[in-house]
Amino acid sequence: MEADVTIIGGGPGGYVCAIRAGQLGLRTVLVEADRIGGECLNYGCIPSKSLITVSKLAGRVKEGERFGLRTTGVSVDFAQMQKWKQEVVAKLVGGVESLLKGNHVTIVMGRAEMVERGRVSVRTGQGAEEISTKSVVIATGTRSAQLPGLELDGSLVIGSKEGLNLTSPPKKMLIVGGGAIGLEFASMFQGFGTEITIVEIMDQLLPGSDPEVVRVVQRKLEGKGAKIHLKSKVVSVSKGEGTAKVDVESPEGRQTLEVDKVLVSVGKKPNTEGLNLERLGVKIDARGYVVTDTHMETSVPGIFAIGDVRGPPMLAHKASKEGAVAAERAAGKPASADWTVMPDAVFCDPEIASAGLTEAKAAEAGFKVKRSRFPFAALGRALSTGEAEGFVKVVSNADDGRVLGVQIVGSEASNLISEVALAIEMGATVEDIALTMHPHPTLPEAIMEASESAAGHPVHQLRL
Amino acid sequence: MEFKLPDIGEGVSEGEILKWMVKEGDSIKEDQPLVEVMTDKVNVQIPSPRTGVVTKISVREGEVAKVGQTIVVITEPGSAPRPAQAQPAEQPAPQPAPLPAQPAAEVASQPGTVLATPSTRKLARDLGVDIASVRGTGPQGRVTDDDVRLQAKGPSAQAMAPPAPAPRTAGPNEEEVPLHGIRRTVAEHMVKSQRTAASVTHVDEADMTELVLLREAFKGSAEKRGVKLTFLPFVIKALIPALKEFPYLNASLDDQRGSIFLKKYYNIGVATDTEQGLVVPVIKDADRKDIFEIAGEIERLADKARRSALSLDEVRGSTFTITNVGAIGGLFATPIINSPEVAILGLHKIAKRPVVRDGKIEVRDTTYLSLTFDHRVLDGAYAARFTSRLIENMQDTKKLLAEIL
Repeated sequence: MEADVTIIGGGPGGYVCAIRAGQLGLRTVLVEADRIGGECLNYGCIPSKSLITVSKLAGRVKEGERFGLRTTGVSVDFAQMQKWKQEVVAKLVGGVESLLKGNHVTIVMGRAEMVERGRVSVRTGQGAEEISTKSVVIATGTRSAQLPGLELDGSLVIGSKEGLNLTSPPKKMLIVGGGAIGLEFASMFQGFGTEITIVEIMDQLLPGSDPEVVRVVQRKLEGKGAKIHLKSKVVSVSKGEGTAKVDVESPEGRQTLEVDKVLVSVGKKPNTEGLNLERLGVKIDARGYVVTDTHMETSVPGIFAIGDVRGPPMLAHKASKEGAVAAERAAGKPASADWTVMPDAVFCDPEIASAGLTEAKAAEAGFKVKRSRFPFAALGRALSTGEAEGFVKVVSNADDGRVLGVQIVGSEASNLISEVALAIEMGATVEDIALTMHPHPTLPEAIMEASESAAGHPVHQLRL
Repeated sequence: MEFKLPDIGEGVSEGEILKWMVKEGDSIKEDQPLVEVMTDKVNVQIPSPRTGVVTKISVREGEVAKVGQTIVVITEPGSAPRPAQAQPAEQPAPQPAPLPAQPAAEVASQPGTVLATPSTRKLARDLGVDIASVRGTGPQGRVTDDDVRLQAKGPSAQAMAPPAPAPRTAGPNEEEVPLHGIRRTVAEHMVKSQRTAASVTHVDEADMTELVLLREAFKGSAEKRGVKLTFLPFVIKALIPALKEFPYLNASLDDQRGSIFLKKYYNIGVATDTEQGLVVPVIKDADRKDIFEIAGEIERLADKARRSALSLDEVRGSTFTITNVGAIGGLFATPIINSPEVAILGLHKIAKRPVVRDGKIEVRDTTYLSLTFDHRVLDGAYAARFTSRLIENMQDTKKLLAEIL
């Protein structure tokens, strides 16, 4: 078949790219080897958020006594929860498929190989489909990286994909890797009653994040009984009947833990095998990620790459925006990845969300940094929801008040961050946010209060 | 296809065709160099947007073409069956206009770069305007949609028709040299500056004895880093804190708006003499660079200037300019402001001169500094205080030493 653009991979990068290309009138082919929607819809963002919602809800109901909510026998029916989760996923995947069809995108299910410039061959269930195409977009994403000695076996040692399909909560779970995925699993399974241990090789959870923010989550995890070993690593695993003995080396010494699940979340590896990148001369970096310019074009004209396969940060929303840029470029439009902020959210308990620079990064970039914080404990709406832990931290430029970054830890942080992403993208100052009317009583008032504090006139905070 | 002179950016409305790299009848591949065009600011080489055969060259070398004017016709290989090996590099879709012929060298932005909303940034991309080159008129220098549109239109919109001089040809013992390219640009800029600014030149004297020693001391280690250490980087290092203290010298005046814009960034233009004439490459964010980085950049830009290889980006956005004629000689001069800036600093020959110190005559290395400023924006006392501070900074070699170490 003939195409203007062929997109390899139907995740949040690839399918958005395909829809945009279709809208622009390009003859568009989307190749998918597994399921439309990719990791995000099928094995990542969406299913995990479904389960996290149940875990949180159960937790809130259980602590309801405090508010006078009397319940008995609250428990989680794992089978029903998994069924509901699958319905959510199926609904979204179906929606994406009809959007693709509605935009005249041809879907080819199978594994793609770039035979030469302008030619893609797909191994499908029925044989090979040859596509002659003007442009190619690589959107193949990543898969979980494996640690030697900690290879996934699907039952005792599992990855995030299996972790989301468990049919009952483990009693004890060891999570290897305290990044975003590790933390989300930790909070979620803690909510289901699992005893959690986290082993992280760096000196803080969520390495690279603001340490003050991370501390709030760590304290809560530990307060509910989780053991967290930093600067630590798994030395060996010996598997028994339904349990595994894991040797962990940490600064406090060596110890052996017995758990019934080991969940490995230690990063990702690009899916580039079989694409023929080397022969086509597509440049990759030292870790194997595909290198592109800001127009998402690789070293080979006409071949684009978007999303996780380009390397970290690996975020669905980033992949989607990059997909739109690649589609527009392929259509000859002057699109470019020129966003200023890349917000992210971690759905641990409480949630963490961040946009723009942290205090440390802003100082590193040479800004005269001003930081201001507002605790949710001083906010009416936070107290009246019964979830008042955490704070909003605003990092601004002392010279002109421009907002450089905001970190939020607390309930609904993920839903609060977009306001500041817009503020930074628009070049707003702390005064701009402070002077913008925020409805009362709501959680975003914390952002306004922290901004007022940065602007030098906090109302609900005493100046020290 | 008819290839029209693209909008090369920053208000460039026309360009002189310097050199065709192809002849009529030649085959040309996409991205192969097509033509060299001299604009207001620099030479740019424009690659071919298509693969095909050059059927007609419409503007000859030496002629001036307007943006949007057809300069060449390229016939693409007809509807002949496509060879088995498709060429993905070909422009895939019907394309409204050729993309600006500039390298895709944007960097991931972070707060602190161009202040403009996402929709304004998109507008700039759509109009082929390099937003980094647009002077923002909004609060804190924010680039607005109007700023972008104005830039896209170019100065042609409000260009004044030059007064028609009596046509004249060269007489006996005269040679006619057409006013072209850089020469013409310099001519226009200088007259514009003189016409708009209320120029005053302030001259002072600096004792360079210690700076001469300091430079001598670090020449070797600079060479080890592969850079030639002249006096200029030291002067720039002494200049930045003075500009920070006297912000009205690092500014521009917008007559129409009736506002002075104080710049919180320090892009120092360095007037550079080339065979074609004066060009002013710019050391961007000089306040964030160390002496060796500045020295390296001066060398690199001067070399590119001499090879006519400067990019548009490298010659725009300056906030204050230095002209250094010390190597050639003279006492001092009255430089002309590099509009729309409000001041220019002239550096002159360093020579051993008799100086009275503590009641005695001593032989010291001294130089004269000439500062031309726009009296509309600042006053003489302010300029004099600025110059004194600059000289103080230049003579404070301990502080400059600290910059190096």
